[in-house]
Amino acid sequence: MIWDGAIWNEYSVGLAVAFTCALIGFAALTIERDDLHKLLLIDLVETASLAVIALVGTDLAEALILPGLVVGIAELLALSQIYLTKEGYQHNPVKRLNIEVMMISPAPVIISTILVVYGIILSGFTGGGIAGLGIVFFLMSRSFTGDFHVLEIASGVSWALWVASFFVFMFFPEWWYLALMGSAIGILLKVITKMSLVGAMWGEPE
Amino acid sequence: MNEIGGTPLFFLEFGDIVVYFTPFTLTLFILALIFTVFVLVSRPERQIDIAFGGDAFYDKVISLSELRFRRFMSIACGLACMGAMVTGDVFDFTLFVSLVGICNVGIVAAVKSRHVQNAAYQYGLVALAGTVPLFSAAAMVAATTGTLSMLELAKNAVEIPLAARALLVLGVMGEGMAPFYAAKAEMFRAPGAPYVIMCSLSSLLIFLRVAEVILLL
Amino acid sequence: MIIQKISRVLSNFDNILPVFAAACAVMSVITLLFLPFVYSEDQLYPKKIVAGSTLNPYDRGGPPFVQAEIVSQYPENSPSAGFVTAYLTPFSLFLSKQTLYMGTTIVAHPGGILDEILYNTRGLDTVVEPSILFVAFAIAAYIFRREEHR
Repeated sequence: MIWDGAIWNEYSVGLAVAFTCALIGFAALTIERDDLHKLLLIDLVETASLAVIALVGTDLAEALILPGLVVGIAELLALSQIYLTKEGYQHNPVKRLNIEVMMISPAPVIISTILVVYGIILSGFTGGGIAGLGIVFFLMSRSFTGDFHVLEIASGVSWALWVASFFVFMFFPEWWYLALMGSAIGILLKVITKMSLVGAMWGEPE
Repeated sequence: MNEIGGTPLFFLEFGDIVVYFTPFTLTLFILALIFTVFVLVSRPERQIDIAFGGDAFYDKVISLSELRFRRFMSIACGLACMGAMVTGDVFDFTLFVSLVGICNVGIVAAVKSRHVQNAAYQYGLVALAGTVPLFSAAAMVAATTGTLSMLELAKNAVEIPLAARALLVLGVMGEGMAPFYAAKAEMFRAPGAPYVIMCSLSSLLIFLRVAEVILLL
Repeated sequence: MIIQKISRVLSNFDNILPVFAAACAVMSVITLLFLPFVYSEDQLYPKKIVAGSTLNPYDRGGPPFVQAEIVSQYPENSPSAGFVTAYLTPFSLFLSKQTLYMGTTIVAHPGGILDEILYNTRGLDTVVEPSILFVAFAIAAYIFRREEHR
């Protein structure tokens, strides 16, 4: 009998809840016909899979959630861009925060600088998020006329830095400190550039 | 351990994730490698529409940037395939499989036709939905056995729930759905050999590999 | 014929997601029927809460630059595992002495158990993960720019 030795422990109760959520989400996906709603529903179902990972309940689970989350977000971004082209939405320029004070006063510069500096102090993933937010805020308040090329190069460099650190960890374990700092700076740069790219895509200068 | 794909020939240790080569996985790895090299060196086909009843024909032009982008995606897909063939960790395997899925979306989505874009979008949705059973399966393996390493799991110390295996297969099916689309005329109408073939080959390879993983667990 | 019917449904790619979602829904029901599962007690990287520690959910012990004990799959493959876990940046060391809530932000700093797992013992996962992010951004950026130049 398959039930042998199994009891209704906390883990199984959690799984029951998570898979009930997934079931509801998938049932909704089965009958949904609108393309945009399908995308949103899938994003909802992803949450159930993160719950299943979290139910492992160890430090390993926390480390596995991060890749799981990133994969979902990355595919969501690519798919929403495909959706825009597929539906033939011409880009209708999103207006900047068209407040006169913001356009000329140094306030956005100061706020963004504070955010970026604080992000760099924090470093790592969260630091990248905060510093990236600062740059997005700056791009929103000013017209951005530069090209993405610099951002893309920075993104590539940070990726290479990260992979290099990985190899240091694997083959020269005694230099772990160098590898740790390399990874931390790599992820910082990566998150900053990715967020700035999203900020730059969001609207175009008039 | 039970040896489905033969005795491991050699191991590559990356911390907790051990990459191992058995005769089976090595064969698949070399296949993926050869095809990636083909993609790297080959020139894409050029399609010609012939107007019936006359001597006229139209040459379909592919822009250089599109060509470069699709080649980049195909190479990324080949590398992801090679990783998925030899990795010895369940969660790492699911990550490589999702990378294959997103690369396939990229190969198709670069084509500048509304119809193909729609197909790419629908396929992308399936690939995204496929990550749910994939990651759930890996997490359930970790929770019920306390390990993710295939080498440890192959010792058959703890029984893995049947549901976890079934979810893993379902997830791989979602990610490897591309050839069922690629078989459609709409997709081949887009000029794209050998890049579209990469979709088919990659999903064939991940299906073969997941069969081994399921038998091993 | 039934096969003809199935083939007709599947040949329209608007139907493929509903079919796959239905399969997933059925699979969720099957999983629910197979419950309960045995939860294995000997897990890797177990979580233990050290009561009273300022680094609370993430305190895995040890002063910086002293190797901490961690339960990894193949300890012999990562001889330096444990150093990153115990490491605190000077800034976080300062914070941990000032406040009781350092542990809730420690994930933001280099060092700690999560960085140990993500960069060191399971580093290959983390290499694949930004590659997925990179490919997805490449697709989005390519399509976005093509639309721009039209």
